Amino acid sequence: MIQSIILYGSVLILLGISWKKDKHKTKKSLGMGKQMAKGTLPEIIGIMAIIAWVLAIIPEEMIKNVLGGDSEFLSTIYGALIGTVTIIPAFIAFPLAKQLLAQGAFLVAIASFITTLTMVGFATIPLEKKQFGMKFTILRNLYSFLAAIVIAVLMGVIL
Amino acid sequence: MIKTRLLQYKFILIAVLIYGVTFILDGEAAIAAVNLFFGFIKEMVQILPPIMILTALIGVWVSRETIVKGFGSGSAWRGRLLSLALGTFSAGPIYAAFPAAAMLLSKGASVSNVVIIISSWAVVKLPMLITEASFLGLSFAVTRYVLTIPMILLLGWIIEKQVSSEDFPFHKKAEKIEKINEGLPQLNCKRCGYASCSEFAEAILDGYKNVNDCAIIAKRKGHEEQEKKQ
Repeated sequence: MIQSIILYGSVLILLGISWKKDKHKTKKSLGMGKQMAKGTLPEIIGIMAIIAWVLAIIPEEMIKNVLGGDSEFLSTIYGALIGTVTIIPAFIAFPLAKQLLAQGAFLVAIASFITTLTMVGFATIPLEKKQFGMKFTILRNLYSFLAAIVIAVLMGVIL
Repeated sequence: MIKTRLLQYKFILIAVLIYGVTFILDGEAAIAAVNLFFGFIKEMVQILPPIMILTALIGVWVSRETIVKGFGSGSAWRGRLLSLALGTFSAGPIYAAFPAAAMLLSKGASVSNVVIIISSWAVVKLPMLITEASFLGLSFAVTRYVLTIPMILLLGWIIEKQVSSEDFPFHKKAEKIEKINEGLPQLNCKRCGYASCSEFAEAILDGYKNVNDCAIIAKRKGHEEQEKKQ
């Protein structure tokens, strides 16, 4: 909340400065912002709705079983996969991760889950593709996925 | 143009469909989904509008030279650190990073720095570090961050080697805008509501305007039709 107040406040101040310096440029930038919103919002809203639906119908039990399965390595891969296909706000993800750890999930699996959760976005691929093209999007997500597993495995060695 | 606009709404259409079916089959699950969705929307409203305006302000006020100097290929370690700092101190989920990073890219930032901005935007956050530490322990959170930051720099380096500027949509878009622009009068009369013919050309490409919204072209066409009638 505070974050958002700071953000809105500073943008308003910058807009004011911009308006004082050059009204035309400011109008142009507002137009650009509007076009950006028009171009991306329908997709973002649709994707958010689909993700919310997926999260709501997947039972939490299932995630628990998968992240605390028989094999630590497999659980790590599953953790990375679950993190990839979902977008969960951090304030939900960390309490969930703690709960999963307490219920027997592997630390490495949780680490890979959290890293891919934030860095890799299967659901946001259409948004990323639109701005950066297919090749960049696939490579960035693929390498980030691999990096998340390496980070998780290293964490298992260190901790 | 109409087709691309319809395509934009495909996810919303899919969502409406699956929500409708879920409501009929399992009302409780549907309500849970709707609640989650409103949570997402709340997060989005808090972050996205100012980020978009900020991006547009940078686009208008900051020159290409400045961006190239700060984030271009020649910026080396200073550019990498600057990108890391930009990602770290920005707010919002990863999809909020896309328009801002794409704008920097089109203004001459290097691919490596764009990857660093997107990744650190998503992962490296001070408030998130504190939350993570409080739930999963300080050593867990710090170790994860210490390992992630070099990995992000490595990702940037590798992806820059494999992706060239022709792979990016803005490259093709610039060419298309130029093509449309060639057919415009180049009087920059602003009667279409845009400051220049090339900006009008971009609006045509995005589907917001039609060539006939140009007063001069519309007039010319009107004359031609009259001549045909005579």
